[in-house]
Amino acid sequence: MNAKGNDLPSASDIALSRRAFLKSSGGLVVAFNLFGPAVAADTAQESVAPPPAGNLYAWLAVHPDNTATLFTGKVETGTGVQTALAQIAAEELDFPFDRLAVVMGTTSKTVDQGPTYGSMTIRYAGPQIRHAAAAGRQALLDLAAKHFGVPASQLTAKDGAVSMLRSASRTITYGKLVDGKRLNIDIGASGERFAMKLAPKAHLKDPSTYTVVGRPIARKDIPDKIMARFVYVQDVRVEGMLHGRVVRPYGVEATLQSVDETGLKKIPGFVQVVRRDNFLGVVAENEWAAIQAAAKLGSTLNPSGPDAGQAKWSNWNGLPQMDQIWETVRHSGGRDSSAVSHGSTATALAHASRTLKATYKTPFQMHGSIGPSCAIADVKGGRATFWSGTQMPHETRRDMAKLLDIPLDGIEVRWFEASGAYGRNGLEHVVADAAIMSQAVGRPVRVQWMRWDEHGWEPKEPPIVQDLQAALDDSGHVIAWQHHMWIPTTADTHLTAAALIGRPEATGHIGSAGVPIKYAYNFENADVAAHDEGRVGLLTAWLRSPAQFETTFAMESFIDELAAAARQDPLAFRLAHLDDDRAISVLKAAAQAYGWQSRPAHANADPSGKHAHGRGMAWVNRDETRVATIADVIVDPSSGRINVGRVVVAHDCGLVINPDGLKNQIEGNVIQSISRTLHEEVTFDTAHVTSRDWQGYPILRFEEIPDRIDIVLVNNSPEHMSTGGGEPSTCPTAAVISNAVFDAIGVRLRQMPFRPERVKAAMS
Amino acid sequence: MSQQITLNVNGDGHVVQVEPDSMLLYALRDNLGLRGPKFGCGLSECGACTVLRDGKAIRSCITPVSAVGTSRIITLEGLGTAEHPHPLQQAFIEEQAAQCGYCINGMIMQAASLLKQNPHPSRDDIKKALNGNLCRCGTHMRIVRAVERAAGRANG
Repeated sequence: MNAKGNDLPSASDIALSRRAFLKSSGGLVVAFNLFGPAVAADTAQESVAPPPAGNLYAWLAVHPDNTATLFTGKVETGTGVQTALAQIAAEELDFPFDRLAVVMGTTSKTVDQGPTYGSMTIRYAGPQIRHAAAAGRQALLDLAAKHFGVPASQLTAKDGAVSMLRSASRTITYGKLVDGKRLNIDIGASGERFAMKLAPKAHLKDPSTYTVVGRPIARKDIPDKIMARFVYVQDVRVEGMLHGRVVRPYGVEATLQSVDETGLKKIPGFVQVVRRDNFLGVVAENEWAAIQAAAKLGSTLNPSGPDAGQAKWSNWNGLPQMDQIWETVRHSGGRDSSAVSHGSTATALAHASRTLKATYKTPFQMHGSIGPSCAIADVKGGRATFWSGTQMPHETRRDMAKLLDIPLDGIEVRWFEASGAYGRNGLEHVVADAAIMSQAVGRPVRVQWMRWDEHGWEPKEPPIVQDLQAALDDSGHVIAWQHHMWIPTTADTHLTAAALIGRPEATGHIGSAGVPIKYAYNFENADVAAHDEGRVGLLTAWLRSPAQFETTFAMESFIDELAAAARQDPLAFRLAHLDDDRAISVLKAAAQAYGWQSRPAHANADPSGKHAHGRGMAWVNRDETRVATIADVIVDPSSGRINVGRVVVAHDCGLVINPDGLKNQIEGNVIQSISRTLHEEVTFDTAHVTSRDWQGYPILRFEEIPDRIDIVLVNNSPEHMSTGGGEPSTCPTAAVISNAVFDAIGVRLRQMPFRPERVKAAMS
Repeated sequence: MSQQITLNVNGDGHVVQVEPDSMLLYALRDNLGLRGPKFGCGLSECGACTVLRDGKAIRSCITPVSAVGTSRIITLEGLGTAEHPHPLQQAFIEEQAAQCGYCINGMIMQAASLLKQNPHPSRDDIKKALNGNLCRCGTHMRIVRAVERAAGRANG
C-alpha cells in the first residue's frame, strides 16, 4: 500500500493558508472550511445557511491548481467513509484521488444527507455523491466543448483533464476550465436526507470500467493522525475561548439545593459558576482551573454522596434495582409489534413431543469512547457557532436553534472529527452544555467532559430480556419457534442539558426500533415479536447495531441449542432451515474458510485437558448485509476465563468501495463485540451509574485479542448494490462465543457479559 | 500560584506559566499547543496521554509539571518528521493501523518505549507492553502488526 499521504496540505496547513488561498483564487467563495484558530474569527459575516442541494457547487469545487474538493454532510467517525466517498467521487469525476480533498459535516458548507450512523453512508450517500460527481464530469465536458469549439461527444475526460478524442495533445485541466469560478450549475435534487435523489439525468460510468472504486486505497486521514498533525475537535482552539467543565447531579434526577462558592475565586484563572436550574458548570481561563473548580463542587470519580461537594443535591434514588433490571424491563409500559406471525405456534408448542425454552439477558452497555465528548460554543445575541464532532451536525444545528431560541439562519456547526463514538455518545449532549455556558458568559467556551461524565452520562445501550421457545419433531426438524423480546428505546434523543435547565422537551424524542431482528428461518409456525418501551432507568440511545447485537445473540444461540438437542451439526441444521440464498452463501463461505467439519456440538469434548476447546458459529442479516462468523474459543474451567482464538468472518455487503477499509471495520467490530460479550456491563445503584471509569467498566485488552481474524468478502461485485459494511459484523459475536463455549464445556451462557465468575457459576 | 517553569520538550527548552501541581498533559496541549498527547481519562487508565520521559513511556495526565524537572520529554510530534517519520509511524501508516486514531498517540509512544528496551520483541512481548493502553475501535490486530513491522525494519 502506498505509504505516502495524499499530496494536499494537511488540515492545519489549510487553515493557516486559507486567507492566502482566498486571495489568490480571486473570489472563489467555497474552498476549505477547516478553520484553525487563526481564521476562526473572520468568518462571522459569511452566510451560514447550507448550500442548495440541487446546485453542483454544493458538492464540488475545482480549484485553479487543479485540486478539487468534495463537500458532504456525512462525517468521518473513524470508519473510513471519507476515503470511500472520495473514491466514489474521484471515479465518476475522472479525477485523481490524491488531489481530491473532502470537507465534511460543516453545516454552512454541506448539504444535510442525514446523520452518519447505522453503516448507512455508502448505501445512501454513496449514490448521491456518485450522481453529483457524474454531473460534475458532464459539466466539465460541456466547458471543454466550448473551449475547444467541438461537441462534447468528441472529448474524453481522464485524471482531471479533458482531451480531444482525435487529437490527444489538445488537452486542458479541470482547474483551467473552471478558472476559479463556482460551479453554479443546476443538477436537480428531490427528496431529503437519506432519501435525497441527485442529478437524475447524470450519465453514470459502467462499473466494469472502475479503476478507483474497489481498490484498497490508503485512507486520507491516517497519515495526519499518525504524525500528530490531525485536528480533532478536542484540539480546536478559538480566540478568546474559556474552558468549561460540567458538574452533573449526584442522582440522575436530583435537584440542585445550593452551591457554596467558597474558595473558587482563589483558583488562579477561575472565572465563574454557571448555574441555571439544575444545570451546573464552571468556567475558567485554563483547563486546570476549570477541573479544580468542578472538583470542589463535586465533580470527582467517586463522590461519596449528594452533599459531598460544595454543590448540594437532593437525595434522589429513583433508578431501578440493578439485579432486578430485567424484571423492570419486562413490566414496563410500551407497545407490542410483530415481525413474523404465521401458523399456530402456541398449538404446535403445546402438542410437540419435544420443546425447549430459554431466556436471554443482556445489560446496559456503553459506547466507551477513549476521548471524552468535547465541543466549543460561541453564543452571542442572535448568532451561535459550534465546533463539534457530532455524527449529526445538521440535526444539532436544528436542536440548538430550539434550545437557544435563535433563528436557524444564525446557527452554524463547524464539524471536526472526534474520538470514535460508535453511535450516539456524549458528543451531541456536550454541544448543549457548551451552549448554555457560552450564553451565560458571553464568550466562546470549550467544554470537555471528564471520564466520569462520559461513563456516567453518555446515553447507554439498553438492557434487554428475551424469551424463546421452540418445538422439534421426531426427526429433529423445528416445527415451532417463538421469540419474544422486551426492549427499552435505543433512540432517546432528549438532551440532558435541556432537562437540567427545566426544558426537557425542548429537543429530541423517543424513537422506536420496532422489532430489531431479521427473522429468516423457514419454520412452519413462527411468532417473533417485540415489546418496545420508552426510557427504563438510564438515558438510552443507539450503540453499534442497536438491539440487533442482542437479538442475534438470542436467536443464534437458541438455534444452536436446538441443533444440539437434535444432535445435528450446527451448520447443517441452519442450512436445513434457511431459504435466503445470501445467508446460505455467507455461512458456506465462512465454513469453507474455517475448514468446518460436520459434527454435533460438544460431541468430541475432551474433559481430561486443562483447557477446553470449542467452535461456534452464527450469522445475521442486518439491513440486507449478511455476515457469518465462526470462532474458536479456549475455556479454562478452573478460572472460568474464555479466550477467543481464530475468528473467520464471511461478509456480504455487495460491492465494496475499499476492501482494506472494510476489513479494518470488520476487525474493529469483531474485537469490540468480543469485548462487549466477555466484559461489559454498566453498573448502577439507585442514584447513578457506578461504573465511572475503565476499572468499573473494563474493555478488551491486547493480551485478550484473537490470534487471527480471517475475512472473506462475498458478492463483492457491481451487480450487487452496496449495502452497509462494518457494523453488521458486530451482531453474530456473542452467539458465536456462547455456542463455542457450549461446544467446549457443555454449558450454555445466556446472560452477558461472560465474565469468569459467571462461567464458573454456570458450570457448577 | 502559577509559576514560570522550564520544560525540555522535543529537544527544546520551553517556559510555561502554570500551576506547579497541574498535570504535564495540559501544559503540553494548552501552553505548548501540541496535539499528540490526548486527554482520555485523567486517571492513568487508558494511555491516550502517553509521552516519553528520558526515553520511557509515562502518563502525562497524572504527572505534575513540578515532577518533570530537567528530564527530556518527547511527544508524538518529536518522534519523527514528515520527511523522516519514525519507523513506528511509517509502519502504522503502512499497516493502516488506525480507525478514529485517538488512542494511537499512546500506542506509538508506548511501543517506542518498548523498542528502546527490547528491540526484538515477540508478539506476546508487544501485547504485554501495550496491555495498559486501551483502543475502543478495535484496531489491535493492526497495531500489533505495525509494531512487529517497525521492529523488523529497525533491526533489519
